Amino acid sequence: MVGVRLGLEGEATDAEVVRAVLAGDVERYAVLVRRYRDRYARYASRMLGSRDVAEDAVQDALVRAFDRLADCREPDKFAGWLFLILRNRCYAERRRRQRQERSLDSTDEMFAAPDRPDGAYEQVERAHALQQALQHLTPEQREVFVLKHMEGLAYEEIAGVTGATVASLKMRMHRAYDRLRELMKEHL
Amino acid sequence: MTTGYHPLVKRLLDGELSLAELPPELQGEGEEALRLVGAADRAPVALSPALEERVMAVVRRHAASSGNRAWRWLNTPRDIELRLRVRPWTVWAGALAAAAALALLLGRPAPAPEPGPGAQARSGARDSVFVRFVLYAPGARRVAVAGTFNQWDRSAAPLLPAGTSGVWTTTLALPVGQHQYAFVLDGARWVVDPAAPAVDDGFGRRNSVVAVTTRGGQL
Repeated sequence: MVGVRLGLEGEATDAEVVRAVLAGDVERYAVLVRRYRDRYARYASRMLGSRDVAEDAVQDALVRAFDRLADCREPDKFAGWLFLILRNRCYAERRRRQRQERSLDSTDEMFAAPDRPDGAYEQVERAHALQQALQHLTPEQREVFVLKHMEGLAYEEIAGVTGATVASLKMRMHRAYDRLRELMKEHL
Repeated sequence: MTTGYHPLVKRLLDGELSLAELPPELQGEGEEALRLVGAADRAPVALSPALEERVMAVVRRHAASSGNRAWRWLNTPRDIELRLRVRPWTVWAGALAAAAALALLLGRPAPAPEPGPGAQARSGARDSVFVRFVLYAPGARRVAVAGTFNQWDRSAAPLLPAGTSGVWTTTLALPVGQHQYAFVLDGARWVVDPAAPAVDDGFGRRNSVVAVTTRGGQL
């Protein structure tokens, strides 16, 4: 998830693009936008429970990263740095929505049942129920579940991007398992 | 009321055990738990194609008003504290943080005589001020200073050892304004200046800060 060099945009590394932008080539920033806009979309969507809200978060994170690009101490780790900005943005959005007491029970069309073969309806229902149940976890529990079981990161990798210890991550996850079991009991 | 999963089932979900390794009485619970995490939607999420253009439109606008941006940055309230901290790795590094100092040769406008890398700044940059960076790092093989003034380039501003004392120094001509920086030991280890105020960079790390004015520098 962090520090991957992609074979797009003429093989320019993140560090090369960052330095070009800082040197005044603002248009090169589009390379980073294209590179990361969808890469972090799933994380933001699952954290926020809405593709539309996630899109706003990703957009804000990319703009904020540009505004603070001079603070990016290690340009070759731009991906991880951007992720932290997006993560902070997702947490802030959750807090804002909680203050507004907006219902988080409903998720948008992103989680609507896709076309599946007959017999898979139960799985689709379960996926939808899980997405709703995730919104009832604490943000920390939800994040570790999303990063491990949706983004496919190992605990050590999650520790690297969040700054938490592996032991505390496991504790959060195990509490999340118990809570999800309770919330999902009619779908398991 | 549903009870929590058995610890062995949680290890199954963590990928540390396989279903076959669970005792027979936990097989059913394990299968149920796997159905739960199996419901995780791993499908990619595609955002609007217009997102890129929206971001770039804002970015261009912000870039065009970079002067305003600098003003906002300077006026943004930040937590600044001055403190010395001893961390375990400092012991390992041979009392790295024991005696570090940032000596500012400030109040000296650029044309003032000054040897070293700041020399280029004398002729053209009247708003540049010489700043001397000093770090006591007896265990280091290489020391550099990287910051907002050199785009955090770890190799742009190396410090030179002062004999065998463990003290490293360099003098840079910095433009007037506030700069964040940190020392880089052996090309990899970032160290804040123990003698300068530090600010949180917003992402869990700290940067040292120096404010340079035409009358001199202030920590």
